Amino acid sequence: MRMITNALRTGTMLATLAMCSGAALAEDITLWTLNFSSEASNAAMQKIASDFEAANPGVNVEIVTRGVDDHKTALRVAAGSDRGPDIFFSWAGLGLGGEYIKAGLSLPLDTYYAQYNWDDELVPAAASFSKIYEGGRHGVPFTFKGEALYYNKALFTQAGITEAPKNYDELVADAEKLKTAGIPAITFGGTVNWHLMRLMDVILESKCGIEKHDALMNMKTSWKTEPCAAASFAELDTWSKNYILSPFMGIDNAQSFNLFVGGRAAMMLEGDWLVQQLAEAGNLDDYDVFPFPTGTNRLYGFAEYHYISSKSKNPDTAAKFLDYFMSTPVQQASLGQFSTTSINKNVAYKDLRPLDQKWVDIFNTFTQVYMNGDQAFPLDVTTEYFRVINEVASGNMAAADAGGQLQTFIDNRR
Amino acid sequence: MTSRSIFSDQRTQAAMLIAPAIVIYAVFAIYPMLDVVTLSFQRWNGLDATKEFVGFSNYVDIFSKDPVFWGAFRNTVIWTILSTIFPPLVGLLLALGVNQPVVGRNGLRAIFYLPVIIAPIAVATMWRWMYDPFFGLFGQVLTSMGLQTWVQDWLGDRNIALYSAFVAYLWQTVGFSMVLFLAGLQGVSKTLIEAARIDGAGRWKVFRHVTFPALKPTITIVLVLAIISSLKAFDIIYGLTGGGPAQSTQMLALWAFTQSMQIFDFGRGSAISVVLLLITLSVIIPYLRWTRKSEENEE
Repeated sequence: MRMITNALRTGTMLATLAMCSGAALAEDITLWTLNFSSEASNAAMQKIASDFEAANPGVNVEIVTRGVDDHKTALRVAAGSDRGPDIFFSWAGLGLGGEYIKAGLSLPLDTYYAQYNWDDELVPAAASFSKIYEGGRHGVPFTFKGEALYYNKALFTQAGITEAPKNYDELVADAEKLKTAGIPAITFGGTVNWHLMRLMDVILESKCGIEKHDALMNMKTSWKTEPCAAASFAELDTWSKNYILSPFMGIDNAQSFNLFVGGRAAMMLEGDWLVQQLAEAGNLDDYDVFPFPTGTNRLYGFAEYHYISSKSKNPDTAAKFLDYFMSTPVQQASLGQFSTTSINKNVAYKDLRPLDQKWVDIFNTFTQVYMNGDQAFPLDVTTEYFRVINEVASGNMAAADAGGQLQTFIDNRR
Repeated sequence: MTSRSIFSDQRTQAAMLIAPAIVIYAVFAIYPMLDVVTLSFQRWNGLDATKEFVGFSNYVDIFSKDPVFWGAFRNTVIWTILSTIFPPLVGLLLALGVNQPVVGRNGLRAIFYLPVIIAPIAVATMWRWMYDPFFGLFGQVLTSMGLQTWVQDWLGDRNIALYSAFVAYLWQTVGFSMVLFLAGLQGVSKTLIEAARIDGAGRWKVFRHVTFPALKPTITIVLVLAIISSLKAFDIIYGLTGGGPAQSTQMLALWAFTQSMQIFDFGRGSAISVVLLLITLSVIIPYLRWTRKSEENEE
């Protein structure tokens, strides 16, 4: 009996020692991200984690994926506890990622940017979002998405349009030509507010220019008194009455895409991700793309970022993982899995489809970006921005009153 | 007193039987409810470690500064009125119909009840596609009949979007009212109906003077349940319009959710929830009193 007891005791001690030594050696980092709709993206994420583990014995990388809303909620729950991710996904910008930064959930990464020379590898436009916050640089780019006007070549030809417009006035003139030819110029889905918002964003950039547009989005100038804001709402009104395929308030972006592919409208303001969708739904040769001609030399787009949590117990390992993630070999190997183009400027593009090549050219052309309104504004202002845009677009609010209504909401904020 | 005598006491037995339910109810209903009331006097974004007490500020904000609240309030009232009229009325007519000895009666009952067991979000998805102005069922049918001018932006026109959504809601909920009325109809005395007919009463008079009075308790239950259900209307609107276009189909329940879970202003979202709670209580309390009075009268 005593022998059995001793054996058990020894076994327990050995097991405890083994566990303790294992705990001392193992370093766990957790990455909370989205459950991507593309299986290829999810698989690529897992592969990168596994490869990093293989290259760094003793490090375990756990990838936790959730739906968008669940992810946001989980981050808020984590904010109130001492448990949570080492790295988390969020969009860049003051509205979405900025909330977590403001709440102190993100670790400033200036030292890691310097240590790993990330700026030497990253596409400047993609990395630029890390500099928009107060108190240091936050996050590193995961993907960078540009948005531009796709067009149906045959419909443009039918309307007598021979080349892409070079400025906003030319674009409006082309929209008028399309209308005259009986072709709706552009399609949007109004039920998802952000789709129509894109039109307002690009009009604002066109009518206000860089400084005034940024001041409006940063709420540092009044929407009520700034003339270019009223002019932009008036333009939105004109587009919705004349050039958008109607009705559009009761359909979503997917229905809008079907209409575009079906040749019911000539243009669609979409991101670089649409290339793959177009390839799956039709013939890519039927389409081309050009940046919205705002005249400001900035590209419309947004970035998805990875942030290191301020609560991470292993920030150095987390930074090491991000460095690995953004490295040229890893980005080259996973090209096309997360986005058409990489956030690493050293990635080589070979055998690209013409539209993908067009996007690479666009990304190389622009060094500055202006971001989507819903990523620039705080969440409550975004909701009101959506409402005002939809009211103007559906003819229920005079364009002249729209800026005032938005400004009243901003002024009433606490 | 022995343990046996304690456990044989009826009040103790009752307490023991009720206790688990009370604990569960307290944890999952009472506590969250009280927490929401507390939160409605605080400012919290879900990220900050502390919640700041702000008094009635959230209520002042939703009543005087929120551009959507009163629209959502109005829509909730309209929805409640429509829900109090149409699902019970159509449900009663259906119940009267399938209570007759018609061919395929059981099949019809099942068909009419079927939408009730479908998840509201699935109903919303289905109807959203039917309402599609380009490819949807209604548009196609009207176009094939040469009535393309009748095709509307069913969910995109603020003047009709709420009512379009209500039609889907009616389709989904009418079966529930029908089943309750069917149950009520089984309690109508056949002897009284027979006696009325012998006295020369026609169908309408039999319904008005015999069936309808016998259905009064059922009607009350159906109406109260319809009101409570309509005040909570959320998923069907969320799935069909998301509160749009331009918040024109927004409802109090959905707006409370939006404020809390999408804008992450938990204080304001809670204040809207409390307003909705008070409205619901104003319906439930008279109903509970009426139920108790009825029980007392029966005793």
